[in-house]
Amino acid sequence: MKEINLTVNGKKHRIKIDENMRLIDLLREKLNLLGTKEGCGEGECGACSIIMDGEVVTSCLVMAFQAESADIITIEGLEKEDGTLHPIQQAFLDEGATQCGFCTPGMILSAKALLDKNPRPTRVEIKEGISGNLCRCTGYNKIVDAIEKAAILLEKGGN
Amino acid sequence: MKIKEVIKAKDLNEALLSLDKYRDKSKLIAGGTDIVIDLKHKKVLPEVLIDISDVEELSQIKIEESYVEIGAAVTFTKIEKSKKLDNRLKGLKEASRLVGSPQIRNLGTIGGNICNVSPAADTVPPLLALDSIAVVMSVEGKREVPLQELFLDKGKIDLKENELLHSIKFSKLQKNQALGFSKLGLRKALAISRIATSVCIEIDEDNRCKEIRIGSGALGKYGLREKSTEDFIRDKILDENFIEESARFLKSEIEKRLEGRSSKEFKSEAVMGTFKKAIREAIQLIKA
Repeated sequence: MKEINLTVNGKKHRIKIDENMRLIDLLREKLNLLGTKEGCGEGECGACSIIMDGEVVTSCLVMAFQAESADIITIEGLEKEDGTLHPIQQAFLDEGATQCGFCTPGMILSAKALLDKNPRPTRVEIKEGISGNLCRCTGYNKIVDAIEKAAILLEKGGN
Repeated sequence: MKIKEVIKAKDLNEALLSLDKYRDKSKLIAGGTDIVIDLKHKKVLPEVLIDISDVEELSQIKIEESYVEIGAAVTFTKIEKSKKLDNRLKGLKEASRLVGSPQIRNLGTIGGNICNVSPAADTVPPLLALDSIAVVMSVEGKREVPLQELFLDKGKIDLKENELLHSIKFSKLQKNQALGFSKLGLRKALAISRIATSVCIEIDEDNRCKEIRIGSGALGKYGLREKSTEDFIRDKILDENFIEESARFLKSEIEKRLEGRSSKEFKSEAVMGTFKKAIREAIQLIKA
């Protein structure tokens, strides 16, 4: 066992981890943040995407001990305390960009990482931004529509 | 997985000392995009993991007077976005931009790309075309070796148990030199290279090729230089006809190398396309 410090969704944690644990295991099993999904477990599907120190990464490819001192955002960290959805989440609902929902947390976090750096991306840039996230239900058009809409919502003064 | 100890190295010294202490019981980890999968499938069974992803000295791109040095823990994203690397090095940035997906590029490092010795490693062809030198370190000191000499076999790198890849160095490109790159994957994102070609050329005012180095990916056990094709092209005028002729020469070289393999017909034909794209891009970059 080893103890590490990290910040998840704005909250500081000091957590005992097993040396063999991956970051996704830490998030799901130690912090009970079940919005981070495990799909392929090999970095191909993007369902386990999270934002670590400002960059979107697949949490199935990061060992838990590597996240020492990291600042992490998971899907649970997006809505406000009063339950108001983040503009990207709202746009996904409005545009019907979610079906079974398994890829949605990863999609939304990839979208957030993109929009944080590039507030008005083109559709091509959006497709590139979510190219590491697979969706097997909706197809990608509605997801791209939703991210375009989220960009407008955010520009109008969302958070 | 049965890892007993994990070390997140704060500096190069701690990384080197830990590696020297645990030797073959340990494995280095940086981006983790390959090794975490290998750990899961029990392809590697280290007792100790040493993380070098936060070692400052290994995470820098340095532009010195005559050469460029890229730390082994520099991510693909950092290379792709780097303003320090000018446009004549487009081939290296392009190779980094085409790795995996944003998530993979944010994690994966150039050192990992080299040390895993995958035949399809995307950044290896441009680094070979740049005639790169690998800087290898251990507690005993530093050694510099041509990148190509580090490759022993598929998946096998010539590093001792207590050595790590510190950085990669290559000469700065001059005004009449540039690096092009072209990759053939099966889809746009997350594609493993089926073929990658990178061409570094130097031309004079008459379009005569003063120097050329060609790096190939996925056309051998590991990244290779195409030396006989380089000799064929050197000192010739690079007009369209001659580029076509060179592509046919390279095709015949690849046919010889892949004799008896099912991929021979496809790869020897397709390499003409990646080669022509890469060399035209390099010529364009010089003229721009």
